[in-house]
Amino acid sequence: MSVLVVAEHIRGQVRDVTRELITAGRELGPVTVAVIARDPAPLVDAVNVEGVAEIVTVQVATDEFENDAYQSAVEALITDRRPRVTLLGFTVNSMGYGPAAAAKLGLGFASDVHGVALEGDAVVATRSFYGSKVSAELDFPGAESVMLLLRPTTWVPAEGPGGASVSSFEVTASPSRARHLELVEPATSTDVDITQAGFLLSIGRGIGEKENVEMFRELAEKMGATLSVSRPLVDAGWMPASRQVGQSGKTVKPTVYLAFGISGAVQHLAGMKTSGTIIAVNTDPEAAIFNVAHYGARADLFDVAEELEKLF
Amino acid sequence: MRIVVCIKQVLVLGDEVEFQDDGLDVDPDYLDSALNEWDSFATEEALQLRERLGGEVVLVTCGARESEAALRRCLAMGADRAIRVEATGRDPFTVARALAEVVRAESPDLVFCGVQSSDAVQAATGTVLAELLGLPRAAVVTRVGYDEDARKVVVDRELEGGLLDRVEVDTPAVLTIQTGINEPRYANLRAIKQAEQVEVDVRSAADDGMPAYRVRRMFVPERGEGAEMIDGSPAEIAGRIAAIVKERLG
Amino acid sequence: MARDPKHDILFEPIKIGPKTMKNRFYQVPHCNGFGSEKPFSQAYFRALKAEGGFAGVATEYCSISPESDDTHRMSARIWDDGDIKNLSLMCDMLHERDALAACELWYGGPHAPNMESRCVARGPSQIPSDFEFLTYAIEADKDDIRYLQNLYVEAAKRARTAGFDIIYVYGSHSYLPQQFLTPFYNHRTDEYGGSFENRARFWRETIEMVKEAVGDDCAICVRMSTDMFLGEAGTQLKRDCLPFVELVDHLVDVWDINLSGIAEWGEDATPSRFYPQGRALPWQAAVKAISKKPVLGVGRWTNPDMMADAIREGKLDIIATCRPSTSDPFLPKKIDEGRLDDIRECIGCNVCISRWEIGGPPLICTQNATAGEEYRRGWHPERFTKASNSDNDVLVVGAGPAGMECAMILGKRGMRRVHLVEAQDDMGGTMRWIPQLPGLGEWARIVNYRKIQIDKLKNVEFIPSMKLSAKDVAEYGAEIVVVATGSYWATDGLNGASHAPIPGADASLAWQATPDQIMGEGKQLQGDNIVIFDNDGYFMGVSLAEKLAEEGKKVTLMTPMGHVASYMHFTLEAPNQHRRLHKLGVEIVPYHLPTRVEQGAVVAAHVYDEDGHEKSFAADGVVWVAQRRSNEALFRELKDSIGLEQLKAEGVDALYRIGDCEAPRLTADAVFSGHRLAREIDSPDPSIPLPFKRERRMVDDASVAMEKAEYAAMYAGATAS
Repeated sequence: MSVLVVAEHIRGQVRDVTRELITAGRELGPVTVAVIARDPAPLVDAVNVEGVAEIVTVQVATDEFENDAYQSAVEALITDRRPRVTLLGFTVNSMGYGPAAAAKLGLGFASDVHGVALEGDAVVATRSFYGSKVSAELDFPGAESVMLLLRPTTWVPAEGPGGASVSSFEVTASPSRARHLELVEPATSTDVDITQAGFLLSIGRGIGEKENVEMFRELAEKMGATLSVSRPLVDAGWMPASRQVGQSGKTVKPTVYLAFGISGAVQHLAGMKTSGTIIAVNTDPEAAIFNVAHYGARADLFDVAEELEKLF
Repeated sequence: MRIVVCIKQVLVLGDEVEFQDDGLDVDPDYLDSALNEWDSFATEEALQLRERLGGEVVLVTCGARESEAALRRCLAMGADRAIRVEATGRDPFTVARALAEVVRAESPDLVFCGVQSSDAVQAATGTVLAELLGLPRAAVVTRVGYDEDARKVVVDRELEGGLLDRVEVDTPAVLTIQTGINEPRYANLRAIKQAEQVEVDVRSAADDGMPAYRVRRMFVPERGEGAEMIDGSPAEIAGRIAAIVKERLG
Repeated sequence: MARDPKHDILFEPIKIGPKTMKNRFYQVPHCNGFGSEKPFSQAYFRALKAEGGFAGVATEYCSISPESDDTHRMSARIWDDGDIKNLSLMCDMLHERDALAACELWYGGPHAPNMESRCVARGPSQIPSDFEFLTYAIEADKDDIRYLQNLYVEAAKRARTAGFDIIYVYGSHSYLPQQFLTPFYNHRTDEYGGSFENRARFWRETIEMVKEAVGDDCAICVRMSTDMFLGEAGTQLKRDCLPFVELVDHLVDVWDINLSGIAEWGEDATPSRFYPQGRALPWQAAVKAISKKPVLGVGRWTNPDMMADAIREGKLDIIATCRPSTSDPFLPKKIDEGRLDDIRECIGCNVCISRWEIGGPPLICTQNATAGEEYRRGWHPERFTKASNSDNDVLVVGAGPAGMECAMILGKRGMRRVHLVEAQDDMGGTMRWIPQLPGLGEWARIVNYRKIQIDKLKNVEFIPSMKLSAKDVAEYGAEIVVVATGSYWATDGLNGASHAPIPGADASLAWQATPDQIMGEGKQLQGDNIVIFDNDGYFMGVSLAEKLAEEGKKVTLMTPMGHVASYMHFTLEAPNQHRRLHKLGVEIVPYHLPTRVEQGAVVAAHVYDEDGHEKSFAADGVVWVAQRRSNEALFRELKDSIGLEQLKAEGVDALYRIGDCEAPRLTADAVFSGHRLAREIDSPDPSIPLPFKRERRMVDDASVAMEKAEYAAMYAGATAS
């Protein structure tokens, strides 16, 4: 049972999700990591971690991601190496080619997977449906090989030195029909629209006094987050309603939602529970927000906030 | 110019859930339906292009009779025609196959799909459709710059953390459209009433292909399942949080 | 949806003397303007709370004698058999709904001006009332004291006959028994005055006598104000109340614990502007710590978690509410069913209380348009009949309080499609920025509740950021159009005192502004000296004064009236508001009307100065809180320029307007107008409110004959003088 992991990189850096795929993959079998790049060599060390048996480099014409280049390379590798499972991150780039390759090669396929297991020969993947309210176990009867797109930050990135063999693999590519031009930084807007923020630092009643808002406002700025609040702070007049997350405020879906002192009233959760990654810090271990959070810490808000500020 | 927009009527689960007897899906009594949020952005994008360049916007959906409600919402926004492919499969491969024949027959210049549907979140159907149609594609598009004469479209793809990947795509092409690309227009009651009267073109699809996956069990996850608790001193906790944040934002 | 187990404790029954309350929700005595003389309104109002799950529901203060007549304010009365009959309707309806009925026996002493009965009250000492300053009491001698105590006993018996389960010997807010307890009112030197034992004697004896008379059948409740905030002269917790609890605990079946005297009872019925919920909890907990009997208490409770915590932490046994039970009589049921989203939370505006304070009108509620209308208009807050013309689409233009309410109720009445269209990017209208004023954060619940409800209604769609022209409205495709475009503050100084603009007033200039501009558009006035001209009479002028003073401005608040924000006396917000303004150094200038404004100065004359001498007030900036005007333009264009004929041709069968765009009014009335139109959308002419029931005596031949005969008999044999 072999596993193929396709590395993802940008601007010359391997993204952490790649090493998360390795962690997941090595539970299933020996892992081969494919590094597809114009100049793959400098990226090899970053994926040469414990659990990786083999690293295969594929040289392509493009310096950043392109659908067609990756699809040709991955299809060729799968056809050649015949892995049982191919793992990609559930990322913007993977969405552009993973499903196509899987369809073309007749693989089993599922994305946004947060659990993988082997039952004898069968691969069983676990993912959510209906806005994360229910989970499902999927299997792939009749599929010799399976491609899974794994939800980032579910597995811990693999570390530790590896001793993988490194080889190159040639792929004849046709010209890309979708060609990367450049990477562009997004324009920053001056108006506070919390629904457009990619990173929200959200505070609730647990922060105690109005005076403490300032501390979290500063922390948000340092971390590059936009400050948002739960309803009690708006009721109390500490913050304007434009910052309120919740059923009667705004519904947000940032990539990261970091909550301090928010217990997780139903109306608040309704406004943020589809956020990409939810991290909640609260002194109450029973706080409902821990039911929707991806990460939680039962700790003193101010201690954690103080420490966080040192890191940004 | 012809743009085909593939839309989906998604299922919405409220706060209560019961499963079907076979345990493979939620009891339909607990599900409401709605137009997939991404699809209203996709439809709007198509309408704006039509306003600029003329032509028609054709809607296609795969589903049972009830899913015509989603078609009518987009017709009320101003789309020209609507086609429903009668099919019951919901996984990306089955749906893409059902859509492919119909879409191919329309000879579109552009095909828009939403990045993903809110009920399944596979984010795959559009890309598989592109493969079946043999068309170039770009996923997670937040800006469309279509040059009809040059038969190219320059798009921005929104990467994790907000960075944009600018890509030039040969057309015809399939683009999966991200929310926030535009402000979808609202239909007034007159348009809604008119859309009610439009006849939806219904086609059937023979489906004999393999689905992408099979659901073998559906269940409510344990409370707190997935919430990984971070232990340690405040400094250790802060360190882990910082690492997660940096990783997720690219 | 299921109840959150954290809230289970709120649904545990509790024994109160010979009775049992089925859960911990209780509607404490509060006024509704109906008394004993509008028995159907009274009974339907109280019964609705029981239907909503309240296990105990009380009358308002219930007078035990014509000597305790609070006219012009409305109390209940239990003077005679007629009152027994009338109040028994309330008791029966409560019992049918599994709730206990409570009667708050009241004798006001010098606080009751007796303007209908023309009797004279008795009190512990001869003092004028501290707020009804023309009313003096007879200083009671021993006979008077026995007489007074007997009034309570007889009233308790009548209450028992009427069917009441809980009988109060009510002292709070400085009424008779507490007047005896309190040095401020009690200057006696006999055994009913002086030491604690003496001051407590009257109340203790009265409780004993009432208990003796009805205690086997009814639970005895004592309502005590545990701190009058009057220093040594007032009732104090440790010196008077806790010892009193110890003294009579064995006689009492349940304690009703609150705060404050009557002159400043906003310290008890706390406005949200100044206090969060649960303000009285420390005092209630202090009593609970030493009493062996159940303790109930108010606190403007809206948060079920805090309610459950109060009981779990041993601070209270029963959650008592008035205002939250008025804004949502179904509060207990909704908590029981886990439908917390559906709770229509009290905003603590005290508009309900203001009606009683004014004296006469029935209560109203900003959040709940059906409050007070249960009998008069037959409105039930949770039940809606399907409109007979539901096969129509409705366009509501404007999502302020009136528009939101109208769209929501139309949705609940099953109209085919309702589009609520708003020019701004979110619901709320002026209620988006009013809650940003100092202290008014909880008023945002007006918007929050409706937003959530409208979101749930499948037949109501909210469309933001769309400004409709008259042509757009005509072509929209709705058969029914409701215009709810609100109002704006006059920019030219037009005001209700002079009915004329003020020379030089022009809010388009950089140094002048209206409330809309400052709060809605973020207009900033430069310079230090700001003059606010206020002829509004409610919260806008003082709130802006507070806000600008907090920002560092030197604020002068000028009004032609004798008092600024006079309506806030009725909402009990005035004392603390004035303290706030005083602390912030806001200068209040009453009785002055500007004659003109020029850059740098507001020139004004005293309204009673017949020579019209002018005085100049330094003003770098001027704020006009002069009066509001309707945003009529859209409606007028639809009705006058396009015309109803042409609208009909476009398919619009009906055109209505609601709320401020018809005439500026209180938010409570704007919500009401939207609600009424929706309830009556299928009446023959929805633009005219349907008649409501009036409880009044109607003349008929038999009663006319009887009255004439009685009068004749009275004077038979009388000699003419």
